[in-house]
Amino acid sequence: MAAVAATAAAKGNGGGGGRAGAGDASGTRKKKGPGPLATAYLVIYNVVMTAGWLVIAVGLVRAYLAKGSYHSLYYSIEKPLKFFQTGALLEILHCAIGIVPSSVVLTSFQVMSRVFLIWAVTHSVKESEDSVLLFVIAWTITEIIRYSFYTFSLLNHLPYLIKWARYTLFIVLYPMGVSGELLTIYAALPFVRQAGLYSISLPNKYNFSFDYYAFLILIMISYIPIFPQLYFHMIHQRRKILSHTEEHKKFE
Amino acid sequence: MKHYEVEILDAKTREKLCFLDKVEPHATIAEIKNLFTKTHPQWYPARQSLRLDPKGKSLKDEDVLQKLPVGTTATLYFRDLGAQISWVTVFLTEYAGPLFIYLLFYFRVPFIYGRKYDFTSSRHTVVHLACICHSFHYIKRLLETLFVHRFSHGTMPLRNIFKNCTYYWGFAAWMAYYINHPLYTPPTYGAQQVKLALAIFVICQLGNFSIHMALRDLRPAGSKTRKIPYPTKNPFTWLFLLVSCPNYTYEVGSWIGFAIMTQCLPVALFSLVGFTQMTIWAKGKHRSYLKEFRDYPPLRMPIIPFLL
Repeated sequence: MAAVAATAAAKGNGGGGGRAGAGDASGTRKKKGPGPLATAYLVIYNVVMTAGWLVIAVGLVRAYLAKGSYHSLYYSIEKPLKFFQTGALLEILHCAIGIVPSSVVLTSFQVMSRVFLIWAVTHSVKESEDSVLLFVIAWTITEIIRYSFYTFSLLNHLPYLIKWARYTLFIVLYPMGVSGELLTIYAALPFVRQAGLYSISLPNKYNFSFDYYAFLILIMISYIPIFPQLYFHMIHQRRKILSHTEEHKKFE
Repeated sequence: MKHYEVEILDAKTREKLCFLDKVEPHATIAEIKNLFTKTHPQWYPARQSLRLDPKGKSLKDEDVLQKLPVGTTATLYFRDLGAQISWVTVFLTEYAGPLFIYLLFYFRVPFIYGRKYDFTSSRHTVVHLACICHSFHYIKRLLETLFVHRFSHGTMPLRNIFKNCTYYWGFAAWMAYYINHPLYTPPTYGAQQVKLALAIFVICQLGNFSIHMALRDLRPAGSKTRKIPYPTKNPFTWLFLLVSCPNYTYEVGSWIGFAIMTQCLPVALFSLVGFTQMTIWAKGKHRSYLKEFRDYPPLRMPIIPFLL
């Protein structure tokens, strides 16, 4: 769902969405775009993020070639993954200060779900790391495309290939990412139960209790209503944006 | 007397939905809505939004046809607001829930805490006190809905009742679960803390009620007039000197009192969420006051004196 949500930022440009970011076919701008300073910053931000995720992609390939197996590939890219995914929190700030025309709420939801998976599941439960590869690969490909999409949009030179990739590859990458995320959370469950991780029980002086195990199960269940909505939203966006490209190719 | 003709078009499709001829010039939008319902009974007046411009603001029910910037053939655009439900119904439902639900936990009805606790009673005084306070709060709200409040809108969208009830009922169950739990831990500073918290709660409840009465008296029955509220002889209303929405200020205060009384984190979280929402409302109300009244007292803040 974190994978789905991040790419579903079609309308909501979670990253450094430029004015043409959403592939807004009619080219109408509801708000004035970011000023030149903000644009420069956003270009740098998106370039850095693209580079970061490329590093992760390259790291995965190299580690696989060196080891010849899928085991422990996570460890080879653990640090850049944590760094760049957590760095995406800046995107919430971008929306909040208005240099990116996206909803703060939607972007927060997207980024937080990613950050949650990285820190509150994968990092916190070492035993869940084996299942991580599926969503890491999905996120990596998605983010490289997404951040380059934003970069090119901000520079007003968006190659059709990137636009196509952004609005097509999700068809496979979403389900892949979601499966990876669910499998990882599922793998973490027994260890959370055993260790009582992040849980507090009664009695205590704040009269509060929290069962992280139950919470994770609720999260998994929430994928059921949320994933289809985001997925079909992207399908709808794809139809709208890729069909308009025919008329607007001359403007690009 | 020249009669008007009114055509009503769909705001999105521009399809001609209705044509009314021989409309009196002094007919109100409310009357036109009633006429429109006759031809389209599924769109009762409360769910009609009529406007002069498809993307413009809704016309008010009290607006008079001949005072609008239209020729003798007026074109109005219609938008369906969706199924509507009355404010009174929503308020009664969303407040009756917590009242009832809390009591289920207080009386330790089966299947909540474990068989050996069924229908037992807490040995802590504060738990009984909390039940009285919580129940009083919601009974007060129900009575105010029935006898005090004067609503400017009759209805709200139907989906709101599900959203609102989930919020109120959900939090009520969550708080009640812990306060009435067999393993409940009473406040750290004992009776002193409870007495102080109770005082805060009672004062804020009285304050909140005083403001509701003052606001009611501002508006005659059946009218929708808006006036600047001012302090009255009742000292609780003197908070109007410093804030636009002292009813919200007192409401937050009541819940802070309840949180201190029960020393229960979920209550504190409920207070925080409520405070956030009420601040948004207060800021909106404050802004409308400023827009509508040139002479609005400058010292006033929306919800927290001097601060917010």
